[in-house]
Amino acid sequence: MPEFHPGNWVETAVDWLQTHLGWLFDVINTVLTGLYDGINMVLGGAEPLLLAGIFAVVAFWLRGLLAGVVGFAGFLLIDSFGLWDDAMSTLSLVLAAAVITVVFAVPTGIWAARSKSVSAAVRPVLDVMQTMPAFVYLIPGVMFFSVGTTPGLLATIIFSMPPGVRMTELGIRQVDSELVEAADAFGTSPKQTLTRVQFPLALPTIMAGINQVIMLALSMVVIAGMAGAPGLGERVYAAVTQVQIGLGVESGIAVVILAMYLDRMTGALNVRVSPLGRRAAAKATAMMGRMRFVRYKPGTVVALSGVLVLALAAGGLNLASSGSDAQAASGTDVGKGKQLKMGYIPWDEGIATSYLWKEALEQRGYEPSLKQLDAGPLYTSLAQGQTDFQTDAWLPTTHQQYWDKYGSKMEKLGDWYGPTSLELSVPSYVKGVRSLADLKGQGKKFDGKIIGIESSAGEMKILKDKVLKEYGLEGEYKVVSSSTSSMLSELKRSIQQKEPVVVTLWSPHWAYNKYDLTKLKDPEGAFGKGEKLYNVGRKGFAEDNPVVAHWLKNFHLTEKQLTSLEDRIQSAPKGQEQQAVKEWLKARPGFLDKMVPVPGGQQKQGKGAGKTVDMGYFPWDEAIATTYLWQNILEDRGYKPKVKQLDPGPLYTALSQGQLDFQTDAWLPTTHEQYWRKYKDKLTDLGSWYGPTSLELSVPSYVKGVDSLADLKGRSELFGGKITGIESSAGEMKILKRVLKDYGLDKEYKVVSSSTSSMLSAVDKSVKQKKPIVATTWSPHWVYSKYPMNKLKDPKGSWGKGDRIHVTAKKGFKKEFPELHGWLKDFKMSEKDLGSLEAAIQKGGKGNEKESVRTWLDSRPGLEDKLAPVE
Amino acid sequence: MSRLRAERLYKVFGRRADQAVAQLEAGTDRDELRAQGTTAAVIDASFEVQEGHIFVVMGLSGSGKSTLLRMLNGLLEPTSGRVLFDGEDLTALRPRELRQVRAHKISMVFQHFALFPHRSVLENAAYGLEVQGVPREERERRATEALELAGLKGWEGSWPDELSGGMQQRVGLARALATDADLLLMDESFSALDPLIRRDMQDQLLQLQKTLHKTIVFITHDLNEAMRLGDRIAVMRDGRIVQTGTAEDILVRPATDYVASFIQDVDRSRVLTAGAIMRDAESGAPALADGGVPEGATTVTTGTPLAELFTPFATSEQPLVVTDASGAPVGVIDRERLLTALAEEPRVAPPAGARNGNEVSAHA
Repeated sequence: MPEFHPGNWVETAVDWLQTHLGWLFDVINTVLTGLYDGINMVLGGAEPLLLAGIFAVVAFWLRGLLAGVVGFAGFLLIDSFGLWDDAMSTLSLVLAAAVITVVFAVPTGIWAARSKSVSAAVRPVLDVMQTMPAFVYLIPGVMFFSVGTTPGLLATIIFSMPPGVRMTELGIRQVDSELVEAADAFGTSPKQTLTRVQFPLALPTIMAGINQVIMLALSMVVIAGMAGAPGLGERVYAAVTQVQIGLGVESGIAVVILAMYLDRMTGALNVRVSPLGRRAAAKATAMMGRMRFVRYKPGTVVALSGVLVLALAAGGLNLASSGSDAQAASGTDVGKGKQLKMGYIPWDEGIATSYLWKEALEQRGYEPSLKQLDAGPLYTSLAQGQTDFQTDAWLPTTHQQYWDKYGSKMEKLGDWYGPTSLELSVPSYVKGVRSLADLKGQGKKFDGKIIGIESSAGEMKILKDKVLKEYGLEGEYKVVSSSTSSMLSELKRSIQQKEPVVVTLWSPHWAYNKYDLTKLKDPEGAFGKGEKLYNVGRKGFAEDNPVVAHWLKNFHLTEKQLTSLEDRIQSAPKGQEQQAVKEWLKARPGFLDKMVPVPGGQQKQGKGAGKTVDMGYFPWDEAIATTYLWQNILEDRGYKPKVKQLDPGPLYTALSQGQLDFQTDAWLPTTHEQYWRKYKDKLTDLGSWYGPTSLELSVPSYVKGVDSLADLKGRSELFGGKITGIESSAGEMKILKRVLKDYGLDKEYKVVSSSTSSMLSAVDKSVKQKKPIVATTWSPHWVYSKYPMNKLKDPKGSWGKGDRIHVTAKKGFKKEFPELHGWLKDFKMSEKDLGSLEAAIQKGGKGNEKESVRTWLDSRPGLEDKLAPVE
Repeated sequence: MSRLRAERLYKVFGRRADQAVAQLEAGTDRDELRAQGTTAAVIDASFEVQEGHIFVVMGLSGSGKSTLLRMLNGLLEPTSGRVLFDGEDLTALRPRELRQVRAHKISMVFQHFALFPHRSVLENAAYGLEVQGVPREERERRATEALELAGLKGWEGSWPDELSGGMQQRVGLARALATDADLLLMDESFSALDPLIRRDMQDQLLQLQKTLHKTIVFITHDLNEAMRLGDRIAVMRDGRIVQTGTAEDILVRPATDYVASFIQDVDRSRVLTAGAIMRDAESGAPALADGGVPEGATTVTTGTPLAELFTPFATSEQPLVVTDASGAPVGVIDRERLLTALAEEPRVAPPAGARNGNEVSAHA
């Protein structure tokens, strides 16, 4: 049989759609989320008690007193579970889906009822919609719309559409043809026949269809939860994957209550809406005789006014309460309400760190939101920028496939734990089994079973393929694959009964904190090397959130910290993860400040606060960078810095005359030698903050085999015989001539002098086109942080020794600014820091230097305190 | 004058209907067509209905009578032929115009009532007016009047499912009457009712007709009903009208064996009238020799059914004197003549040319 894979085409098609029809998906997304948000705002915004009251009145109106009371009790129960908001999200989801479904299904059904060919065309489509496993379109849904409400809604709509269409078609077709003929005989137009005869008579059937639509939508909600749709589905999904039986049952009950309410109400709605239904109800009531009061239902007007009163009350309460939102303490309010979307895989360390970060970020004034997802959707949403970051990337092995696929659309934000390890473990009361080798011959003791986890897990593959073979355990042991939760419950059961058991585990895991377990040693190293746990952000996250990115990069947990946090969360009541994190943090004072230090040291005032400082600079990149850096710092410290741009000559003159207080860019001893010699008596040298500088030629790193100046020889063809220079007046250009002579390149290469900016744009162009270029550059320069340029080595030392960059100040500076003097004396910068600062300024554009430096500074919490310490 | 005229109507279901009509006109048999997959439901049907007449189309199921009826108001489009109502060719109208005609001029009563279950009795009766766009107040007033005519006063607020079959059909009738349409199409309207109620309804219809003078086309498979109601009767068989005439024509002079066999079971005593069997003055009725009604003789009118002649004969040997509407004697019936008429086997009327010679059969 030749193989046939239409799936490949679909994948291509999905890719194509993604790139070409993005706008369409945006529109759909906007409509769906808009509808959902609208409904959710109404349902989610109201006081639970009042809304439950409204639901009860509706039930009273539709079905009578008993239904009203029971409905009210049901909704109170949901509220007492603490699942009210989730239930309302779910209800909103169901209603939004139902509205859209009905809007499409009923007209389609009518159309199908009136035309045989439409009916024939629609039927197979409906079959596909109804039977195609939801995951199949949930996945592309996530690709098009990312995680959240939309793919969930879409899947729900697709799934619940068929009964709506079918029942409508059936209802219309079922209408007695003699009645239709009668309508026709009295001259009714086809449209009126539909509205006056067919539709009213089909209404009971159509309503049954709508009832089905709503019930299917509700049943789909749990699956939608896997794609990140909010509500009870998310809860159920979380509960199932985290073995929180209690939460699972409670969410389940909440779903059932909603289901029964919706089912009974839509069922009863038929009685109110369709004339036939009213007719049947009136008949039934007439039959009841004395028991009639049980069936009493308030009139529509009475019910409506009841609903209105409650709704007004709810609205009033909302207005009253909206004014008093608590604010984060202003001093630590770094985020200023910025929203961050976090995703996590329901693995214990993922849950633990996600809630830890949620708490930490909330403390710092951010508004983080958490969403539980499967690994696939999580990485997809990261790659699409719908999720900002996640904390539980296992690299380089476990999540390798996702990294391979989406690596270019994400960025690592540092590793925070490692190495992890995979292992087999036994309870410590199992004596004599300390290493994997000890398992041999003990098969009977363990019933010949190793309790595994999901068969799809990487660890299971390694265990079966390598570990058992390595230790000769094949045949003696059988690996039972099940699921992580089953493995854990098996472990728990065994420990309770003190039975021997071997389980497949990994570190870090809270089980080690909770139970007394022995990790079996792996002397042969069969499980391989461990992995590290990384924070991973969407592309551009660090740029958009430099502070958070910095925090993440500096984040670390020890195994003890992690497992104790995990254990605390595990043993906390479900749904109380963040509370557990709070308690865990309380027991560790100072942890939070270390984890998320407030940048700028909360703007502590310096001793010289209020003093005016005059700074001067000439437009060299490092001068601009450091001057604006100090301007920012000084402002934070309460100084009033003034910044002036000058040429080197006037600058030194002004300094010597005391018109300027200091400058940061004195290249000594060579470059600024002449000025120094002239004014040194009237200046103070505050020491060098960077050095040595160097002059050099550089080539892009993709030009292979050219590492030193000597390598340039004989390769002039590669570079077109050209060396791109800078201003011909620059000192470097003069030295370059000597350098070329020393290496015998003067005949082969021609130095093209232009300007610094032309040189830089030539580099930019070449790098973009991956063409070779030799550029005349120097360090420090941002060109090295921005482009992959290699400095060519100068083994002969022809360029000469480099300068160091000093801070120079006016005479008497120390006396006038003792504090600042101290700071500047200790000022140091690495090439990397300087390069990134220059690049940040470059990126921010002209005129925004100060702001660019501010952002850069904020993304390095603690730096300011280091540069300008205050008590 | 004739208000409704059907001219050579054909209705063929199936493919190439037009071609089938041509074949039928050329003499092809209906069964041959069926072998080709086309069904000729109505073949070459022509008739006229006079103003204020009840025209009954009678035939067994499958004879095409319902199809014929639905062509009259355009529910079915004739394959060929014309329907003229007040001189207007209904087959030439566009759908919208046709709907206007149906809404205003032609109404219909159905076999299974076809009442709208989601509407009250009043709303059902007012349906036609609602379609016409008559304002609520007026249409309710007119519907109430129509219900009163149909004998349903006081039932306006009830629902169809609360009524008996007879009453439901009265609603159907009221619905048809409410629009003031001049032409009433009744499709086996009383067939689904119990015999007693059916008779009631027939009486009611005849009663109404006395005052309303509608033009009615009535479909039935019940010959007694046809005889009772029809001013003229068309008998259909296999899509063709085999005979058109008054009840007496059909009964006394059946055109074909089929009609003859059909009328075998008819209660002749209720259909034949005194006028049909009397010996008239010219043929020498001795009792009428002086031109006046003899002293002591019992008189009956020409329209009296035979069934009502037995009682006078039971008490007297004298022949009965038959008078016309004005009371002038036009003929006599003696006992022997009455019995012969009832014992008579209907005989198929010979071709038109030989007709006079055989008139005896009705007189003998």
